[in-house]
Amino acid sequence: MMRALLLQLWGWMVVWSVHSGRLDLLLAGGFHKLVSASGVALLIAGVMVGLKSRKRKESVSWPWLASAGMAVLVLVVPPQPSFSDLAASRPQGLLEPPDLAFVLPPQQRTLTDWVRLLRSQPDPDLVDGNPVNISGFVLKRGDQPAQIARLTVRCCLADATPAGLPVSWPLDAKPKVNQWLKIEGQMKVETRQGQRVAVVVPETITPIQRPKRPLEP
Amino acid sequence: MDRLATAWAIFQGLLLEAIPFLLLGVTIAGLARWLVPQGAWIGRLPRHPLLAPITGALMGFALPACECGNVPVARRLLASGAPLGTAFGFLFAAPVLNPIVLASTWAAFPDQSWLLIARPLGAFLIALLLSALLVQLPEGQLIESSLLAERRLSQPLSSIGLLERGVGQIGSQISAPDPSRIERPQLSEVLEQSSREFLDLLALLVLGCVIASLVQSWLPRSWLLAVGSAPTLSIVALMLLAIVVSVCSSVDAFLALGFAAQVTPGALLAFLLLGPVVDLKLAGLFTVLLRPKAIGITAIVACLGVLLIGQWVNLWQL
Repeated sequence: MMRALLLQLWGWMVVWSVHSGRLDLLLAGGFHKLVSASGVALLIAGVMVGLKSRKRKESVSWPWLASAGMAVLVLVVPPQPSFSDLAASRPQGLLEPPDLAFVLPPQQRTLTDWVRLLRSQPDPDLVDGNPVNISGFVLKRGDQPAQIARLTVRCCLADATPAGLPVSWPLDAKPKVNQWLKIEGQMKVETRQGQRVAVVVPETITPIQRPKRPLEP
Repeated sequence: MDRLATAWAIFQGLLLEAIPFLLLGVTIAGLARWLVPQGAWIGRLPRHPLLAPITGALMGFALPACECGNVPVARRLLASGAPLGTAFGFLFAAPVLNPIVLASTWAAFPDQSWLLIARPLGAFLIALLLSALLVQLPEGQLIESSLLAERRLSQPLSSIGLLERGVGQIGSQISAPDPSRIERPQLSEVLEQSSREFLDLLALLVLGCVIASLVQSWLPRSWLLAVGSAPTLSIVALMLLAIVVSVCSSVDAFLALGFAAQVTPGALLAFLLLGPVVDLKLAGLFTVLLRPKAIGITAIVACLGVLLIGQWVNLWQL
């Protein structure tokens, strides 16, 4: 019977993670259906094992109990990752841009679209003066100026890779690390450390809640 | 505190991503046991030292799962008395030689045709090397004790040494089991065994995910990638990264794409070859198959083999 309860616990943990929207914070979208199906399968397996071993007593090993303790912890303690902390220790890198990103008008480009565009087309003068309408979290790396960034993920947070844009912050702006912001403004070319780079010059900066799906493919 | 919270989130991400594959692997292992009763096909697998691992490696095409899902299937193969070479060939090569992983490698690197050949070929060579070395060890020093006991039940007495049998009389006649008398286990029996196996492996997976998430959070990845252009150091760094990151082999090519431009080609291949065989998440899972000595040999030989392949690639590509 204990085995059935443990399977039910794990199934419930997985289903709850899906239902509560946690997966959006932890895994790439492509895995969500697979994870949901495994949660349901575990719940069904738990019921089947329970029906077969209703009256039977069985020994339970301590690794089963220890791992069940972790399942309870996962249920009780939701993930609260610091995106900035995660991103600060990882180099920037992005996948090949989807073709769509290049044909989108500038104001419809997401932050990652902009990073992809600037990486594949490194002449910043080509985007000088383009309108920008992006959202992301404030990323601070060491002594460098704060950037606005997003995390791109193919699998789970373990492979999260930051994509950030430099921002020319107004003098009165005090961006807090990890804070989510919506920035409207323009792309301008500045010379930083001897290099001409495209920089976001904000016209309005609005603090926002972390989006429901903060990770990008 | 932020870092601990991040490690906790990485742990949950790794675990939730791996659970479906583990469940898939256990289900396939259970179904194989039920649909194809023990001995009916195991006896037909080649025992030739070269053909056995090749057969095992090619069996990966039947199980499109990552390395977590392969462990229960390899365990079932060993428990059913399959040749060691077949089980090890499957265990070490199947995480790469399967349709999903090959397709994802192609999707991530469509313009690097050498990688599409080098990755499966390298995985195949590493699997052959590991199989050839591990089968040199006596089974008692190689296979985990409870698995060995289960394997003994499936093997004909004639293939087991007198001192290893534990039962039987000196001088008694030894006969191979009659395949026609092997009965299909009841579904309830398979369910019971598979559920136990799942919970056993899950406990080890949890441990692996805890270690991987903690190491990832406290070891800055930028340190490992800082040596990107040095031929040997970049390979070693990317091998370390593969061990630490512990992502599923079906998506690791996309992760590699993120830093492909910053590292040498040999290092890139090393990352794609080593992760599916050796990583922190797998460390616990392997204890249900192999004894610590064999796990140590596997890790060291896989690392050396991958380093060597990476060096060859750098000599050829740089």
